[in-house]
Amino acid sequence: MIVAERKPLGEIVEMIAQLHKVTVIGCRSCVAICLAGGEKEVKMLISALKLKNRKEGRKQEFDGFVLERQCEKEWVKEVDDKILASDVILSMSCSLGAQTIADMYPEKVVVPGLNTAMFGVPEEQGMWSEKCLGCGDCIIHTTGGICPIARCAKSMLNGPCGGSSDGHCEVNLDIECAWYAIHERLKLQGRLDLLEAVRPPKDWTPSHSGGRRIIVREDAKLTQHQKRGKEAVI
Amino acid sequence: MAEREPKVVGYCCEKHGIECVNLAARSGKQYDASIRLVRVPCTGRVDGMHILRALEDGADAVFVLGCLEKNCYYDTGSIEGRKRVDYVKSMLSQVGIEPERVEMFNASSSMAWKFPEIVSTMTDVAKRLGPIEPRGDRQ
Amino acid sequence: MKRRIQVVICRVCSGAANVLDVEKLLRVANEAPYVGSAIAVNYACNAKTIAQIVEEAKSREVDRMLIIPCSKSDVSPALFQAYKKKAKINEFLMETVDLVGEIVLPHRDNPARAQAKAESKLLAAITRMAMLEPLQKSSEKMRTKNVVIIGAGVAGVEAARQATQAGMHTILIEKSDKEVKAPGVVMPKTRLVSAKGHAGNFILTIEAGEKRETLECAAVVIASGGDWSDAKGPLVQACGAKPLYRLVQEIGEGIISREGVVIVDTPDPKADITSAQDFAWEDAIQSAIEIRKKSPETEVYLLFQEMRALGLDELSYRDAADLGVRFVRYDKKRPPHADPKDKSKIVVIDSVQGQTLSIPYGGVYYASIAPNPDNVSISEALRIPMTESGGLRRGSMQKGPIATPRPGVLVCGSAQFPRSENISRLEGRAAGALAAQLVSTGIVEFGGSVAEVTPDKCSACLTCVRTCPFEAPFIGNAGKAEIQLQLCQGCGMCVGICPSKAIELHNYTDDQLSTETASYIGGDF
Repeated sequence: MIVAERKPLGEIVEMIAQLHKVTVIGCRSCVAICLAGGEKEVKMLISALKLKNRKEGRKQEFDGFVLERQCEKEWVKEVDDKILASDVILSMSCSLGAQTIADMYPEKVVVPGLNTAMFGVPEEQGMWSEKCLGCGDCIIHTTGGICPIARCAKSMLNGPCGGSSDGHCEVNLDIECAWYAIHERLKLQGRLDLLEAVRPPKDWTPSHSGGRRIIVREDAKLTQHQKRGKEAVI
Repeated sequence: MAEREPKVVGYCCEKHGIECVNLAARSGKQYDASIRLVRVPCTGRVDGMHILRALEDGADAVFVLGCLEKNCYYDTGSIEGRKRVDYVKSMLSQVGIEPERVEMFNASSSMAWKFPEIVSTMTDVAKRLGPIEPRGDRQ
Repeated sequence: MKRRIQVVICRVCSGAANVLDVEKLLRVANEAPYVGSAIAVNYACNAKTIAQIVEEAKSREVDRMLIIPCSKSDVSPALFQAYKKKAKINEFLMETVDLVGEIVLPHRDNPARAQAKAESKLLAAITRMAMLEPLQKSSEKMRTKNVVIIGAGVAGVEAARQATQAGMHTILIEKSDKEVKAPGVVMPKTRLVSAKGHAGNFILTIEAGEKRETLECAAVVIASGGDWSDAKGPLVQACGAKPLYRLVQEIGEGIISREGVVIVDTPDPKADITSAQDFAWEDAIQSAIEIRKKSPETEVYLLFQEMRALGLDELSYRDAADLGVRFVRYDKKRPPHADPKDKSKIVVIDSVQGQTLSIPYGGVYYASIAPNPDNVSISEALRIPMTESGGLRRGSMQKGPIATPRPGVLVCGSAQFPRSENISRLEGRAAGALAAQLVSTGIVEFGGSVAEVTPDKCSACLTCVRTCPFEAPFIGNAGKAEIQLQLCQGCGMCVGICPSKAIELHNYTDDQLSTETASYIGGDF
């Protein structure tokens, strides 16, 4: 899932400082699950901001609620009136949610309350770790189910760099060397031979380097004939 | 005008916490009346939201009183309570409000001496920091 | 719902009359919203008064009751029951306010402030009272009267005896095939594999020999004991140190060395020791006394870093000293070791006297008992947390010394940490009795002020599932969290941590707590 964490409150305060009616919108999806932008965080953020304002004698109006998925227009549409009535939308969602609102309401100021950090997994309660970079061309079947693109600081493709020591990464000794882990995993599976094949340089075009990615499923897309109202206008 | 009395809210667990308060009372301890105790079944029930809301509603300081961490009636409740308090403290300091306005305490039902101490710590904080309002107004 | 509150102030017991103006409190209560009746009585626990209060409750058609008695723990539950039955008031709509403990006693030096505070407190309590919802408890029958006891050691056998005496059906599971003299069913070569269910209705899976079978029971007693296999350590290699129970056996058989007996806390004195309670000191001291009595010429030394005998066993320190048992405290930086020149002697530096002693010995015994390695699988199966040193962890002392955090599961003997034989026996007896007490009701009560999920708001993030110490929340078939009511203890930990605010604790909802707080803060005193 997408893992995010709340921006330092000082930063948030600064972003909304000049605007009066603030609507805080959270999301019940990934960011709620990673404890960053669910209803609880939205309510606590509003409380903290109100306290800050009271301390500084400033007045701002706050409203806050949570959408099922902020990255989908249909859910955002449901709170149309509230968005239109506000001066600034403080999105407590990943950047996808914030951008969905920003694109739907181009005249509105949308500011991010969270830093969208990574695709990660909850290793345990309160700890998430990155395991995918979204490169668009998965190879983990050749690396024992461990992604060297995301889990190696240098995204090395053919074994560790010279900085791997005792299974740790030279960039940060607290993280494991992905290639060490891959070696151990393949050894366990008796498939070390997989490491003998040399991987050619990776084609990064399916990744971000190929420009902003758009995935189309023609069989799922609605045809012009099926669309209604505003959506029908090309 | 008489000096304003501080307002301190204490979320207190119904197990060791309230027993500690009771024993303090029954052993004749006297303490400042500014404390407003609100009972919760367990400090794990306390949500950071409640603490912030209490500050919003006019409390100068808020404390949470639970069982000793290794002797919690609900096993891990007071550990959870502490985590919630710590999170609120970090939020407060990020918006420039003194984090010491919020505190977690642990006591067992036999620690009668502890409650008056908690009260004096928190009322001192509340008196020293005053209400959450612009500095200029407090001359 | 009517939401009409009856406020009852007990003048005498509450002691309020000495500090507070009860009439004014009554006026404040009467003017508050939702209050249908406010009366002060002299003894709320008196049968006549109860009748008077119930009459008033009926005539004013109240549906909830706020009682201000001496203090919550002092009101007998019977009083509550009387009101509940006679006035037909839901038990979750009856609460007490402890004006005595919270206001009268601690603020009696400042009656003016105490009065103002009491009025605010009363209003806050009324505010809360008006928001409460009537709740119902549910119950189910226990399917069996079985008490399963894991481990047929001293504690386990004693637990079986006690529970059988109380009319329970006991099933003793023992991993070895040793001969066991205990009432009820004894299953040798059997171990626990997994457990489902809750106090009153557990379903265990056990492995008897090669066969797996399920076993229903109402309560479980863990008496797995410690690890009785020989430990490793320098003193074992150099001096042939043996576990203490061997000394006890030898004394029983009349085999006592004349060359001297050394009892040391651990066979590996250099290693970190977590706490003094990790040793069976009571047995060690008793054995030393026995030896001195039976064979006065045998010198007995107790070498220790920390020593603690429990309860009345503390008296045995003096008995031992009077009989000439030598207590020697050592520092783990200078541990006792075999004399390199003469292996029949142990050298130890007395850290109190600074003296170096060279002790000849006929036998060396250690008082430590390692945790049972089976604890891991028992902990896994019954979902009981473990201590850092590998024992099974007990719950809060408020639940008693042999209760685990999990209701319906008791732990006794060395399964927690090393216990001497006597204490194991006592604990086994207690565990058997408590298990019987639990099972004898035949009914499992649950529900009431427990957590409930609003499925629409749930993100199935598993946070509640991971946090609950009782493992009550689970993700149900609908892909949303659900609470298994029989397991829910009503602590509200899941409620406080839910990132989507999808769980509420009945009668301690966010709204109820915050409104009560706001009302109390609003009072000026």
